[in-house]
Parts: sequence; C-alpha cells; structure tokens
Amino acid sequence: MKLLNLLSWPYVRKHKLRTLLTLAGIVLGVAVFTGMHTANLTMQSAFQRTVDRIAGKAQLQVSAGETGFPEDVLERVQSLREVSAAAPVIEAALATPQGTLLVLGVDMTGDSSLREYNLEGDDEDVIDDPLIFLAQPDSMIVSKQFAARSGLGRGSKLALKTMGGQKTFIVRGVMKATGLATVFGGNLAIMDIYAAQAVFGRGRLFDRIDVGLSEGVSVREGAAKLQALLGPGFQVEQPQSRGAHFESMARGLTVSINLASLFALLIGVFIIYNSFSIAITQRRGEIGVLRALGASRGQVRGLFLLESVVLGVAGSLLGVAAGLALARGVVPGLAATLQDVFGHAVSASDITISPPLAAFSVFIGVMASLVGGYIPARSAASVDPVKALQKGRNQVLSEGENRWRRRAALICIALSAALIGFGDANAYFYPGYLSGIASLILLSPSMAMWLARALRPVLKTVWPVEGALAADSLIQAPRRTSATVTALMLSLALAVGFAGVSRGIYDSLIEWMRHTLNPDLYVSPSRSITAKTFRFPASMAGELRSLEGVEEVQPVRNARVMIGGEPVMAVSLDIGAIARRVRVKPVEGDRDEMVRLASEGQGVIISDNLSLMRGIHRGDILEIPSPRGLLKLPVLGSSVDYSDQQGSFLIDSKLFQRYWGDDTANLFRIHVKTGYSREKVRQRILKKWSGSHEIFVYTNEGIRDYILNLTGQWFGLTYIQLAVALIVAILGIVNTLTVSITDRRRELGVLQAVGGLRNQVRRTIWLEAVSIGVVGLVMGAGAGLVMIYFNLHMLHRDLGGLRLDFTVPYAFMAAMTPVVILCSFISALWPAESAVRASLVESLEYE
Amino acid sequence: MIGLHRVSKVFAGKRDVTALHPLDLRIPKGEMVAITGASGSGKSTLLNLIGGLDHPTTGAISVDGRELGSLSDDELTRVRRDKIGFVFQFFNLLPSLSCLENVSLPLHLRGWPRQQIHERTTELLNLVGLGKRMEHLPDELSGGERQRVAIARALSVYPPILLADEPTGNLDSATGVEILSLIKDLHRRLGTTVLMVTHDMSVARACERIVQLKDGVIVSDARVESQAAT
Amino acid sequence: MSKWIAFLLASCALGQDPRQIVEEVQRRNRSTSQRYEGTLTVTSAKSRVTQKRWRYERMGSFGDSKAALRFLEPPEVKGVALLVHNHRDRSSDQWMWTPELQRDRRIALQDRSTRFFGTDFSFEDLEERDAGQFDYKLLGEEKLDGQMCWKLESRPRQTKRSQYTHSYLWVRQDLYVYVMVEGYKDQELLRRIAYRDYENVKGLWTARLLEVLDTKRRSRTTMKLEKLEYGVPMKDEDFTLQALRRPL
Repeated sequence: MKLLNLLSWPYVRKHKLRTLLTLAGIVLGVAVFTGMHTANLTMQSAFQRTVDRIAGKAQLQVSAGETGFPEDVLERVQSLREVSAAAPVIEAALATPQGTLLVLGVDMTGDSSLREYNLEGDDEDVIDDPLIFLAQPDSMIVSKQFAARSGLGRGSKLALKTMGGQKTFIVRGVMKATGLATVFGGNLAIMDIYAAQAVFGRGRLFDRIDVGLSEGVSVREGAAKLQALLGPGFQVEQPQSRGAHFESMARGLTVSINLASLFALLIGVFIIYNSFSIAITQRRGEIGVLRALGASRGQVRGLFLLESVVLGVAGSLLGVAAGLALARGVVPGLAATLQDVFGHAVSASDITISPPLAAFSVFIGVMASLVGGYIPARSAASVDPVKALQKGRNQVLSEGENRWRRRAALICIALSAALIGFGDANAYFYPGYLSGIASLILLSPSMAMWLARALRPVLKTVWPVEGALAADSLIQAPRRTSATVTALMLSLALAVGFAGVSRGIYDSLIEWMRHTLNPDLYVSPSRSITAKTFRFPASMAGELRSLEGVEEVQPVRNARVMIGGEPVMAVSLDIGAIARRVRVKPVEGDRDEMVRLASEGQGVIISDNLSLMRGIHRGDILEIPSPRGLLKLPVLGSSVDYSDQQGSFLIDSKLFQRYWGDDTANLFRIHVKTGYSREKVRQRILKKWSGSHEIFVYTNEGIRDYILNLTGQWFGLTYIQLAVALIVAILGIVNTLTVSITDRRRELGVLQAVGGLRNQVRRTIWLEAVSIGVVGLVMGAGAGLVMIYFNLHMLHRDLGGLRLDFTVPYAFMAAMTPVVILCSFISALWPAESAVRASLVESLEYE
Repeated sequence: MIGLHRVSKVFAGKRDVTALHPLDLRIPKGEMVAITGASGSGKSTLLNLIGGLDHPTTGAISVDGRELGSLSDDELTRVRRDKIGFVFQFFNLLPSLSCLENVSLPLHLRGWPRQQIHERTTELLNLVGLGKRMEHLPDELSGGERQRVAIARALSVYPPILLADEPTGNLDSATGVEILSLIKDLHRRLGTTVLMVTHDMSVARACERIVQLKDGVIVSDARVESQAAT
Repeated sequence: MSKWIAFLLASCALGQDPRQIVEEVQRRNRSTSQRYEGTLTVTSAKSRVTQKRWRYERMGSFGDSKAALRFLEPPEVKGVALLVHNHRDRSSDQWMWTPELQRDRRIALQDRSTRFFGTDFSFEDLEERDAGQFDYKLLGEEKLDGQMCWKLESRPRQTKRSQYTHSYLWVRQDLYVYVMVEGYKDQELLRRIAYRDYENVKGLWTARLLEVLDTKRRSRTTMKLEKLEYGVPMKDEDFTLQALRRPL
C-alpha cells in the first residue's frame, strides 16, 4: 500500500490521460455489461411486475397460450371445491397519446375478491354507482397517474380506438396510485370484461382466469386439480412463472446481449492490458531501482496487481453508473422493439437496478482488470534490475513469446475444429466457439506484425519517411500496438458477425416474403400486425368477399400455444386456399400430399425453425394443447416460415375453430381480381368500414416494408456494436499513440532536427494511427467472417432455428472501412499536435 | 556566417536558471570552431540556439543572413534543413531505418527525386567509408560507424554549417580521433563551417578557434596557434 | 311481507323450538307470487344520497322460488335485470342482464358477498333460503320497538357458502314476522336489516319499509315497497334469461 502511494500515485498524476484511458477501458466493458443486462432485466421485471400486480391475490392463472378460451371454462373452474375465487381477465393494449394504455377487462361483480381496487375519492364509493358502471359499456376506471397525464377526472370522456372505430369512454372511477394502479407505469384502465369482449372483438372468449384457492389448499394441489379438470389444453401456472415465457420469447435478445457483454469485457481486458504493458515498459527504470533496493519479485508483481485492482474498482463503479445510464437510454427503444416483434406490451418507466447485478458487474470489472493486468505485472516482476537501469529500450516482444502464442493458437484452432467436427451438441459447439475466439486472440499479435510488415513497403512508396516510420513504429513496439489491434479486431468482428447474420436473415426474409406474402392487400385490426389486442369477427370475411374487385379473402388467425412448455405460434388458415396461392418447396415432405392432408385436418405443417429447434420431423406427432383437449396431430412436413422466432405451425382453420371455439381473425389476406386497381379496392375496404371498425389495409409492398423495418429495428443492435467498436478504436489508438509519441519523442525530435516540417511529423503519427486502423480492419473483417460462421450456427441451433446461407456483409464492411479509418485519423489528431509541440531540445536529450 | 547579438537564455521554472548571460559571437564562413566548457557551462544551449532548436530569451541570432528570431517553427526547420547539419553525441540515428535510409532522411524530407537521393546517399556513405554497410541497421554497427552515418546524414544536403554536439563524447579515444579527422577532412574538402561543442580540450585543439564558456559567459575566445593534436 | 328478504336468514322457532318458530314465519309468509316496486335510497357515510327503483316479481316461496328484479331508474341502468333461481338444497343461481351490452352474465357464488350494485344489500341477501340450510338456537326473549320478540341465532350448515358465520334474528311473537336481522362474521357485525311499517296485505303481514345498515362502510339503504301485490298469476317462462331480454 505504501508502495502504491509512493510509486503509483505520482505516475497516475503524471499520466492523467493514460490513466483515464485505462479507466475508460474498464468503464466501457462494465458499462456495456451492466447496461445491457439491466435493460434486459428491466424488461423482464417490468413484465413480471405487471403480471404480479395484475394477478393480485390470485395464486394460479389458467390460460390457453395466447388463444383465449370459451367462457364456459370459468364455470368449470368455479365449480371446483378447491377454488375459492375465479375471475376472468382480458388484457388489451391501446395506443394513446400518453403511451400504451393497458386495458384490463375484469368481472367487476366479483373481481374484488382477487384484486384490490383502491379507488380514489372522498369516500369508498368511487365508482359513483357500480350498477351504472356495469350497465353502460362505455364505463372505464383509470389509474390516477393516467388520469393526471391525460387530464381526466371522474365523468371525463376519453376517446380511444377500438374495433368499432373511435369510441368515447366515460371515466367512472379513478384508482389510487397504489397496488394495481401502478401496473404498467400507471397506464392502466379497467373495464367490464363483457364490454371489453365487445370492444376488442374477442367474441365470447377469455384470455385468462385468475384463481384464488380455498383455505388449506396448497398451490400444488390446486394446480393439479385444475389441470386434471381442464385437461392438457390449458396452462395452470403461478403468476410468477409467466415471466419465464416472456424470457424464453426474448431469448434471442438475451443471447445477443450476453455475447455483446462478453465482447465488451474482452475488449476492456485488452485496453487494460495495453495500458499496463505500456506503463510497465515506461517504468522499467523505476522497477529496476525498486528491485535494486531490495524489493522482491512478488512485491513488484503485487504492486502492479494492486494498481489494477484499484483501477478496476474505480472503473467498475463508474462503469456501473454509466451502465445504468446506458440502460435508461436503451430501455424505451427495447420496449418498442419487443412490442413490435412479439406483440407484447411492456412498460418500463424506470429501470430495475439489481444490487446483485451491480455487485457482480464490479466483481467482473475487477477480475477483467486483474486479468488484463496480470501478464504485465508478471513481466514487471521479471524485470532484471541491472538491465533495467541501463539506458536504452528493451520492449520488443520476444520471439519466444510470440512462438508460444502461435503454438497455443494452433492448439486452439485444432481443438475448435475437433470439437465442432466431433458433434453437434451444445457441449461441443460452445467450447469450440470459445476456443475459436481464443485462437483469434492468440494469433492476433503475430497477425498484426505480419500485416504491419506487409504495409511498410506500401507506405514507404507513398511517403518514404513518414510512411516507413509509421510502419516501423508498429513493428518495433508490438506490445504497444497489438493489444489495441486485438481490441479493435474483436469489436469489429462482433459487428461484422452480427451484420453478416442480419444480412443473411434479410436476404432469406425477402426470399420468404416473395413466395409467401403474395396477396395484394392485408387487412389488419391494428396498426401493428403482431398486436393481439383486436380481432375481426368471422363474418367480416364474407363481407369482404362481397366487395367489388375482391377475388379471394383468406382469414388468418395466429396465436401462441404452449408446446412442451414453450410458446409456439399456431397459424390457423384455410390451407387449401392458401396452397393455391403460395407455392413453396417444403423442406421435408411432399407438397401436394402435405397440403391435401393438412386441409383435411389430418395433420399440421410445421416451420423449419420449429423442426430444427425442437428436433421435430415429418411423421412425428405434435401434441397441441387446446381448450377442447390435447390435439395430437402428425407432422406432415416442414417449410421455411418466419412467422415467429420460436417456431410456428400451420393448422387448418376448420380444425382450429373446432378445438379452440374461436373463429375470429387477426388478419385477412386479400387477392384482388385482375383488372382492378389495388388502391381502389383498398379505398373501398377502408370506406366500407370507416366509422364502424378501426381497420388498417396494407398493400403487399407496405407489409414487406413493415416486416423489413421490424427486422431492421432488431438489427439496430449492429450499429450499437459498431459504435462500441469505434469507441474502442478511438480509445485504444489514442492510448497507443500517446505512448508512441512518448517512446518516439527522440525520434520525432531527430526528424525535426534534420529538417522535418511539422506537417511531416504529424503525418507520420496520422499514418501510424491509420495503419493501426487498417490492420484492425483487416483482422476484424477476417475474424468477423469466423464470427458469422459461429453466429449462423448459433442461430441455427438455439435462437431461431434459422437455416441461413453464409453471406458476407460487403456493404457493411465497405461502410465501416472509411468510418474506422476516419476514427483512427481523428484519434491521431491530438497526439500529433502534442508531438509537434514538444520541446525539440528536450526531445533530443530524452531518454 | 553566424552572428549572435546580446543573446541570453533563461530556463523558466520554480527557480529560473540562467544558462547563458547576454553574449555576442560571430563566426565567419568556413571557420571550424570549438566551444568548450565544463558541464552546465551553457555550451550545448548555445549550439541549440544557433541550430534553431530553441529560442533565445533575449537577443538576435542570424544564420547565413537569416534572422532566426522572426521565423516560425516551420521556417526555422527550412533554415535548418537547407543550411545546417547536426551531429549528436548519441548519434540519434533512427533504429528502424538502415544506414541508407537514415542518410537519405533529410533528402526525402526535402522531397528530392528518388534517383538523386540514391546517388547522393551512396556517395556520402562512400565518403565516410561505409559504402559496404549501406543496408545495415544502426544496431548492427559499432559506435564509430554509427557516428559516421550520422555525419553522412548531417552532410547529406551539403549544408554550409555543421553543428556537432560532443561528436566524440560517446566513443573510445581512438574512434574519437578518427571521427574528428573525418570532420576536419570534410570541413576542408567541402568548406563547411563547423561548430563543435566539446569538453575535451584535445578535441577542441583540433579546431581553428576555441570559445570557452563558464557559467553562461564567454571567458575566452582564441585562435588555436598550432595544430598540435592529430 | 318481504319473504324474499327473509331469504337471508330464514330461521327461528315456534314456542320453545327455534326451528318451529322459523318454519311458522315461513308458513305465514307463504304466497304463490309477489310483485312490488321498491324505491331504494342509499345514504353513504358522507351523506351522499343516490336513488334507484326496481320492480320485483317472485313466483313460489322459500326454497324453490324464482325471482326477477328489473331496474327502472335511474335511466342509465334501466332494463338491467337480475334473475334468481332459488334451490331448496343449495345456493341459488343468479344471472344478470345488461341491455346496453346485450349480454347476460352469471353471478358466481364466490361473488355473492359483494354489494348488490351500489346498495347495502349483498347478492347473498337477495337469496331466499330454506330453513333446512341453517341450524337455529333460541337465545331468549327481548322487547324491540315495543314488541315482544324471540331472539334466535342461525348458523349456515355449509359455512363456506355464506359471508356470515352466524346471524341474530328477532321475531315478533304476535305476528311471526322478523323485526330485525343482524349478520355477523365471527364477532364483527357486518349488516343489520330492520323491518318496519308492518301492514296486512291480503292477509299477509308485510313490512313496507326496510332499512339496511352496512356497518363497515357506515352506509345505509332504505327501501320502500310500493304497488305491493300477492297472488298475481305468473308463468315459469317469465323467469328465464330470454324473458329478461324483453324491454320493459
């Protein structure tokens, strides 16, 4: 500790900027880790909190995937001796100028036995008259927060978009800002469930039944009794387990976040490693004196490790703070994406701060700092006091060290290839992945050297002095550059890997849309076609058919059901009719037979991703829970279908209606007669329902754009990653250059003494920076291609069951090249200025 | 050729240190002058000021008719590269560049055509007797050889003035003598004005004139009578 | 009188046997049908007053009766109806009809303890229950409103299906009618119903004014019975969900 005070502190004070850069490395790693995980946690806990608060005292919830179920189930549930209270619920999310409003349809006659409605007012009778509330379907209770936000009071009118077009509701009660009313950021409204059924076009279905159990009945016992009563078509779960479904749905996001965090940390480790190596090279003399004065190797190592711990703690704390700020920035966008992609409304008005996560972040920040500082500390300890006290530099990475690295890299590559070749299981794949990354890291110093050597003649030809010196600077001081290059490589590899995958997804999505999404028009009850709030009545199909210019109308109903404990999208449609329009080559099975049997209700056609993720194949029996019991249907075949990330299956609508008692539609696919203008038909549809129904009619192009846009949102992450890569590039290069100009002070002085103009001096530093950028780019692009390979495998096996071709994201790589070079150049500006401003006399005497 | 008028240098700091008290000095064209004095007497400071590496606190310096005080950094550099060659005690060769590249450095900086650079560099290295070691890196050479390379570099543009700061200071005495005679030889053959800082009187005596400094003041300025030293 | 109010806590005794008293009360109040219009005035703890009016029709008596209750006022609730099918051996079935929505809904058993739409009655209070569903105990004799009464205690046999653990009933010794009923949950008084203004209508002694006090919410409801008739001919099909749909 004394040593720390005596030696480290003055160094820190002298090299404020470098210390800041080191700190920035840790902050970056920890901030990304904390930020992304906090954002993810926020989404999940916001969802769970909403579920919990809405669930109130309910101990169990009965649901049937997302499909909903007929009302009579309620009486069956209530008839059970173990059930003390059972209350039906419908949930709907409505867009309002104050954000998404969660509307809960409940049975007000009995719901208070499960939920507390703390009503606001001078006495308890806040719904002026409960009878009026029930008698008038425009009645609504809103939370105090929402009332305040929208300027509402008791008796106010509230206009909302519903299935029947714009509708005016009357606020008949305001809930106190406690308990239930705080759900969903306070954007909550309560309606009578039967009114809600009508308003949201839900037919005579409930989404869910919340159940309170009789005294003395355990949750397990109650759940078992209910499950036995209702059969496998229903999920009987504790409210807290619903968060798990959300989690599994957003798994793709979680994996991406983990990957990004891992890389951010690795990058942080390299920045730390870089700074420490440099510091130790510069402090050789000091270390030599220390050793000469009798400090043991252990003490020297301890000193540097202690420094990394101190920096690690400081950086991690700052990183956690920065991460929370990052999460705050990311959450709204993330919530919007989740809502669009999954149709699940999540309201996270504030981030969820998890002390264990924060503690863990600090821990890994310190660990990362220690790991980054370990090798430099060890090499500090190995400093020979005699040599260190002699003048002259000695920092060339020993050939032995490089050889060792290359060998380890070869072993890693072999291991990686062996693991991946050996088996397909995750137990082989992920270690294979990791050793692949490890080999890249191990190889990177050697590769950086080769590239710098290759670059020298090119640079020398164009700028004989500045170019040669810039390249030499890289070659002479590998320790100074290699860590920066590695960090840059890793971050660019991550971005390229992501971009490649998104390119691949984009391409195959477009291909899929071209074949599958071929109707002329789509009619949707919501602006977002994934939203599940509104549904059309079955009768509307006929009305659409009767419109002039409409050749064919295909109703589609899709909703997630639980298969094997995980959500799968059921897509119900008239398979025969669709097959006449959509001609896709199946992945498994014979098309004509598949279509014939499926349209007779003899089986289902599953999506390729479901097949891949669950290992379900043609001929297997799919057990689909439905409100009328377990539906066991053979899998007739599979085809590529991107309807849902968790997989989907096609089921004939007749069968679906029979088993789910649900003939509503989420979407109508409409083919226009030849000779009729799409736009005219579109206007006709809009006109016919204007006023009575809220409908959205999209053209084919519109929907394609919409889907691509959605996918684009999802892959907006790529750009965040590129931004991180750029920050890394700038941080690393500034760090490397500040050291470089210190190390080369004398050299730069000589250059000026023998007649180098200021611009020539600047140019050599700029070129050094750009060279680092170029080397990082080349290696990042190469490593990125490896990443694409691994990412595609990961997608294939775990995330979406996607079978994608290896696509090189040329456009992205072309775009990132000038940006990285520009950033490298920008990072060089300040160091170059400080180099030309240094005193020449001092530079020449500098040792 | 070189003229100093009331030139002084004070290093600012917690305690100002006066390196040079106001002094006048004139060195005519073609002279070979030694500046001697004990360590800290201000001799290197004087050399740096003349070379335009540093600015005087007061006074004016003119080199070959150019008044240095009025020049910007880049203009100073131009004066330096056209008129002045430097030789340093620690050679200051760039370790990553070969002898050839080191010598050609000032020529490249001046933007000479490559062919001409090659010719001049080869000629110079032959002149200093290193014609066979052109592709070697400085680390592969002995101290004397390195200083020869440095001298070749300093003379690459045939500057009218050569400034040498303890050119033999880091060499054994035999090599020192060798280097000194090389400088003398070049001075004679090229007519270069040579200003050499040394604390070694035997080296100084090889010059035509010795200026002696003590605590930043010229204490003696005398022509050398006999060419005793060899 | 309002046998239908006796629903709740049918109980009591004749002479010394409490069950005999209750059975005598039920016997004396028996009629084939009843119809009246009730005006309800609800006065909240903060003295806010709201008024409602409903028409009540009942066919049969204690145990197997059917009743329909249709709101007449205020205009927002006009046509809202409640249909009750009482059963001798179990709790009643109840449905509600809301004309604006064109929907009927079942009132689940679990919900019967909740207030009956802004009045101080609970859904349970609107059931008629047979004396057979309760156990009775004679606690003694008390003078209430200047009349000698028996004070009885009643306890539901199926405890889970009532919000009250027990009730006290005061039965006038001269007329065999209830004067007051108090519903308790353990030691806590939840609701007190007082029967006043007894009048002989077609040989049946009927209270023309009811007062309900919800002790927890300190809110009271009075109901005046008007256009009271007994023995009006009624048909089973008037007591179905379809019949409720007919406009008033």
